[in-house]
Amino acid sequence: MSSFPGGRQVLVTGLGFITPIGNDRASVSANLRAGKHGLAPVEFLGNPQVPVKVAGTVKDFSVDSTSCREWTWPTRYDLPRETLRGMAPHGVYAFCALQQALADAGLKPEDVANDNETGLFCASAGSAMLMYNNLALMHAVRGERGNPMGVVSSIAGTLNFNLAAHFHITGAVCGFVSACASASHAIGYACDEIRLGRLKRVLVVGAEELNAETLLPFAAMRALSQQSDPMLASRPFDAGRDGFVGAGGSVVLVLEEASFAKSRGAAVYAEVAGWGQAADGYSVAMSHPAGAGLQRAIGNALRDAGVGAKSIDYVNAHGTSTPVGDRAEAIALKAVFNAAGTRPNVSSTKGLTGHPLSLAGAMEAAFCVLAIKEGFTPGNPHLVMPDEACADLLLPRETLATGPATVLNNSSGFGGSNVCHVFKRWFSP
Amino acid sequence: MPLANLPASPSQLARYPVEARDAYERFRTTGDMDALGIVILAAVRDFMPKRNLGAGNIELRPEMKLMEDLGYDSLAVAETVFFFEDLFKVRIQNTELMSVRTVAELQKFVVQKLGENAGKPTA
Repeated sequence: MSSFPGGRQVLVTGLGFITPIGNDRASVSANLRAGKHGLAPVEFLGNPQVPVKVAGTVKDFSVDSTSCREWTWPTRYDLPRETLRGMAPHGVYAFCALQQALADAGLKPEDVANDNETGLFCASAGSAMLMYNNLALMHAVRGERGNPMGVVSSIAGTLNFNLAAHFHITGAVCGFVSACASASHAIGYACDEIRLGRLKRVLVVGAEELNAETLLPFAAMRALSQQSDPMLASRPFDAGRDGFVGAGGSVVLVLEEASFAKSRGAAVYAEVAGWGQAADGYSVAMSHPAGAGLQRAIGNALRDAGVGAKSIDYVNAHGTSTPVGDRAEAIALKAVFNAAGTRPNVSSTKGLTGHPLSLAGAMEAAFCVLAIKEGFTPGNPHLVMPDEACADLLLPRETLATGPATVLNNSSGFGGSNVCHVFKRWFSP
Repeated sequence: MPLANLPASPSQLARYPVEARDAYERFRTTGDMDALGIVILAAVRDFMPKRNLGAGNIELRPEMKLMEDLGYDSLAVAETVFFFEDLFKVRIQNTELMSVRTVAELQKFVVQKLGENAGKPTA
């Protein structure tokens, strides 16, 4: 039970997926179980010399153009032009994932519209591609004209602006920007708003687009894998890992207060039992070498959830497949769990999906509650030779046919932001 | 009065009906203002918020008001203006638009605007 007064509990009651490993729950679940990755060959800027060869691509969408009029998406989603005109490419993913999540939660659009009790918390880095295009025009015409949708379609916050307007969300609406911890922050603060009694329901949306403007700047940081073989490119915790593989997509979670969810007969994936965060205070981009902030974030999350380290039976690691980051996380996990005399299963599903940046925390939270609900534990199918720093971690290669009861989900972002969630199997009281 | 500074086959019209693209080409090469009117009508139809009208296939008549009759909101007006600015390389001031309320007024305004700018080099 949470330490918050009022005893309110937070449940996950709906999921929507537009991901490299599937655009619906059934496909995502099947690919997680089969250990089947969603990475594909890519070429950016028409230049085969670019040292980025594979990425976690989104299938069945085309959002490469700078003009929204050229974009296409699966026709089952009803996305009107009046909404599309202010959107970024990743907004299209998010729109579809949100329509999917509402349906999954048994909600109609009118159930979340104008009710003052549904909030919308979003996470993305905005659209560097549209921003670049808009500013290039501004410079070309020396500031004399510009696209009126340039701001709302490109700056960080574009998701919340557009989705709040379209779905008529009248509770709290905001965005979170902490790089690869962004969506995890959104889930955490959504959980708190519900526990504080301020909102009954929060739609948490994470999304990122996959294009040269979003991804290649990470190549300049030497953070990306240069492998062209998908099986070798994203290898979290493997001794041979050489960087992360970029990814795009969107995942939406519907969080609801337990009694509210029960009153409408909602189906439940799992409980958000608690969350915690702590920062490294160390480097602008690199993890603390011993994962100091992550260790404290895990401790804070466990305390908030009221569970001990021994209760955790699966950790969905941040594990991006970078040499420094995975090592720091491995050390942090050992410091928390091995020191408590326990070894939970640990896997990074980024081996299958690649790393979708701001979206990561939401995507992996959704994988965690799916694992709890459907009874499986994702493995590390690309792991061949674990890094020596992982020697004492339990890193199953294959998906396990048993599901966890209590899960820890880790995320870490630039500047040393670490955010962790604890999800628990839900037994209706 | 051909507008030689305008590009052939601009990307902005790539998805427009062939009649609109032909009309643009006629306007660009001959300065035919009736042809320009056809391009403007095609853009009005393109930027019209379809949701407000259901099918979106209604016949456009000159006296129709953009906002009241066609469901335009101020963002759709801004989008349409930018489309013309970008397509014809002109600059349109907010104050100039204040008097534009109907389809006919918009056609007249753009025709007049391009007449002023014909042949002038622009950014």
